Amino acid sequence: METSLPLLSLLVWLPLLGALTCLLLRPYTGAGRWTALAVTTAVFSLNLWAFLESRGLDGWLWQEDHAWIPRYGIRYTLGMDGLSLTLTLLTAFLLVIAVLISWRLDVHTHFFFSLLLLIESGIMGVFLALDLVLFYLFWEVMLIPMFFLIGVWGHENRLYAAVKFFLFTLAGSLLMLLAMITLYLVHGDQSGHYTFALASLVDTQLPPALSWWLFGAFFAAFAVKVPLFPLHTWLPDAHTEAPTAGSVILAGVLLKTGVYGLLRYGFPLFPEPARASLPVLGVLSLIAIFYAAWIAYTQSDAKRLIAYSSVAHMGFVILGIAAWNTTALEGSLLQMVNHGITTGALFALIGMIDARAHTREISELGGLWAKAPVLGAFFLFFALASLGLPGLNNFTGEILILIGTFAVHPLWASLGLVGVLFAAIYMLRLVQGVLWGQSHSTQDWGDISWRETLILAPLALLVLWLGLYPHPFLEPLREPVQRLLLESSLRGLGGLP
Amino acid sequence: MTLLELHALLPVLLLAAGAVALLLAGAWQAHYVTAMTYGVLIALGAAAIALFYEPATASTALGLFTMDSYSRFFAVLWSLLAALTLLMSFRYGQRHYFLGGEYAALILFAAAGMILLSSASSFFGLFLGLETFTLVFYILIAFHKGSPLGAEAGLKYLIMGGVATGLLAMGIALIYAATGTFHFDSASLIPVGDQALRPLLLAGWALLLGGLGFKTSLVPFHLWTPDVYEGAPSPVTALLATGSKGAVFAALVLLFAGSDLTGSPLGSLLWLLSALSMAVGTLCALRQHNLKRMLAYSSVVHMGYLLLALLPAGSNGSGAILFYLVAYSGATLGAFAVLTVFSTGESEAASYDHFRGVGYRQPLAALVLLICMLSLAGIPPTAGFMGKFSIFYAAIEGGYTGLALIGILSSLISLAYYLRPVMVMYMAGTEDGMTVTETSCSAAEKSVLILCLLVTLLLGVYPGPLFDTIALILP
Repeated sequence: METSLPLLSLLVWLPLLGALTCLLLRPYTGAGRWTALAVTTAVFSLNLWAFLESRGLDGWLWQEDHAWIPRYGIRYTLGMDGLSLTLTLLTAFLLVIAVLISWRLDVHTHFFFSLLLLIESGIMGVFLALDLVLFYLFWEVMLIPMFFLIGVWGHENRLYAAVKFFLFTLAGSLLMLLAMITLYLVHGDQSGHYTFALASLVDTQLPPALSWWLFGAFFAAFAVKVPLFPLHTWLPDAHTEAPTAGSVILAGVLLKTGVYGLLRYGFPLFPEPARASLPVLGVLSLIAIFYAAWIAYTQSDAKRLIAYSSVAHMGFVILGIAAWNTTALEGSLLQMVNHGITTGALFALIGMIDARAHTREISELGGLWAKAPVLGAFFLFFALASLGLPGLNNFTGEILILIGTFAVHPLWASLGLVGVLFAAIYMLRLVQGVLWGQSHSTQDWGDISWRETLILAPLALLVLWLGLYPHPFLEPLREPVQRLLLESSLRGLGGLP
Repeated sequence: MTLLELHALLPVLLLAAGAVALLLAGAWQAHYVTAMTYGVLIALGAAAIALFYEPATASTALGLFTMDSYSRFFAVLWSLLAALTLLMSFRYGQRHYFLGGEYAALILFAAAGMILLSSASSFFGLFLGLETFTLVFYILIAFHKGSPLGAEAGLKYLIMGGVATGLLAMGIALIYAATGTFHFDSASLIPVGDQALRPLLLAGWALLLGGLGFKTSLVPFHLWTPDVYEGAPSPVTALLATGSKGAVFAALVLLFAGSDLTGSPLGSLLWLLSALSMAVGTLCALRQHNLKRMLAYSSVVHMGYLLLALLPAGSNGSGAILFYLVAYSGATLGAFAVLTVFSTGESEAASYDHFRGVGYRQPLAALVLLICMLSLAGIPPTAGFMGKFSIFYAAIEGGYTGLALIGILSSLISLAYYLRPVMVMYMAGTEDGMTVTETSCSAAEKSVLILCLLVTLLLGVYPGPLFDTIALILP
């Protein structure tokens, strides 16, 4: 779409500008959070505008392309299609929520909010970059603020969790960097045109063995982020230790960058090994679903339970990708949005409960329903959404994934269905422990404030909207999914329409 | 020596003459601040001449040195480093009673030596340039007379440096015996293919690499590094870590320009040195609890990276080395500038405990240290990432994927030690830490910090112009 507005650059750089403003306004108490709120709201509005403008359009909705490092053929290329649009919209929305959640934070406030904005900048870049080096740059940039969020504002074991998070994700991405350079050189040798542009690199003819190695390196980087079993162990630590806003961003958006990378880069660049790895993905996702559900069930810490449930939910997303057909893929992408909203809401709720009860141990909680009825109702609502109650958002995603998977792998779909049952078990245990029973503290909690309502109400509305009428969100995903399937079938690799 | 040659050597001459003038002036009237101010001006003047004054032709001085755009690039770089070192030493020197002009003069002499080494076109020039600044560093490292660590460091560097000089001289003699030339540009210098078994030449190269290995602290010649880094005054360490090592690599690029080392015995030797430096340096750095010692071992690792880019023939490797030298110098200088800021009259701030909670009390210095650590670790959006990117690029293109993998692994592990000071600054509790008397940065120190910060970030997001410049000036 032709506009004079550098929309994509604004999405990426506005938060960065906001982060600097936050730091500069350090002497003024309260200026940080207002700046953060203003900037995240502005970014969200821009994104929403893009979403409304793009109705009925297909392909690359917006693109920007400038020379950046000519010597290495690296360009500043940003592009937005339906897939990017959906995910940036989710990011922008959750960042507003994250700022509101952290409103009361009083330790190094300006530093905190500038990090939140910095992370928004990085994630937007990841979802919009179409040049491999630019993508890598943003991919790493989003790590640093998250490292600080966990390390400075986290709970007891924060240093351990922060370093583990950083090392795990960096290990994967460094391999990806090597693979990128190799791919670039092979492409340059073949075509004489040295470029890191994704659009050109997809045409590279790779020797089979090499393409397996390169795909492996990319896959490692993305699988860590998803996180796919057995690379998931950083996630519960990071989640448990992170402050609430950090958890919301981690679960809501950061995990999605892994799946996004797989779909945007992994599959188009290396279709053959990617195609051949689908069964592996399927098996790993099923393991993740059951294993994570089981571990989630045994957790005593409510936040850790939600963290493991994230692993299980992302397992579903990967299951849909492993099925590799329209229905399942659309379900997967929709489920990413669903999971971002539901889990974000649950983490926010745990944060609110923690702020009142000063504990996250399920055994020490209880009686929320009586003490704070509105908060309790919200908790129940989001818990039910998370376990996939029909009419609420997770159901629509899961059902699409299961239908799509059933068409190709009935066994996988049946097992996945049992996984949904497992999700119900641990979720109900959480609800049981937190909402009902005897309260362990005699203090008066007070029900939710206007600020907390402002956080939870839009999330709840979205849960209902996505559960009842997901069409507006599925629509922008249709074309990218078709393109993915078409590309893989054009290369003689089959693929069910 | 013709007038043209004098013109070409103008930056070096200005530095040397300025240093002599400062020494003489100091003998009559010892005033530290004045001498330092003039020192900064002289260094900046030399940088400006090298940057803006272009002699008509690339001219040779006595056949030892070639002053062309390549050496002018380094003349700018080393002069600026000297100026920055002097800027960050103002308050530090006053605290440690560096009287008179001798400190400034020595730093200027060191810069002159580094420029000579970066423009060497023969082994004789290489030896001369190297010894010029090594001699200066013998004094500078032990400059703080009262400090026992400083004396030990000075002695260590003197003995090790003496051995290195011996090796170097012997190596050069053997190469001369085998080839009959001192000049870099004769192809017979490098043992390749069938000539590989010329024992004299190979022995000469082995000794030469040993000598240069000492100067650049490559494993296994690195043992002096941590002690010297720890004992020397922080600003001196800054120049030692950046300029003295960088100048050697500048000479190495000239030495190996255009020669393909793949498959030659020399190539295998360099491969081994690079791999060892990366691996051993990383493992040793992990165990340090003192920032200066950690930076010492980290410099060993970085020298391994630079060597990795020296292996593949062609301009990509050399270009990567030049870019990396700039990026590494910026980050290392910044880190030592932060150390200088926090040093008190009695002690150097170096133990991690000194940095507890500094992130919130000294935001600027802490931010600079953070960005420098990220740059050294090679995390975007810093110059270090672009440097590492170009090095890995050159390595993979030259077919050294195995070595690149070792590099990747070591840079992954390096994160563990680069993040530790960051975590102490921002994440450790401030209550139980040692308290150092912190004063806010002086204006001179602040300018150094901000410059390092800007250079590191700017080269990280917009490296294009520097890459282009480098491509133009490569030999």
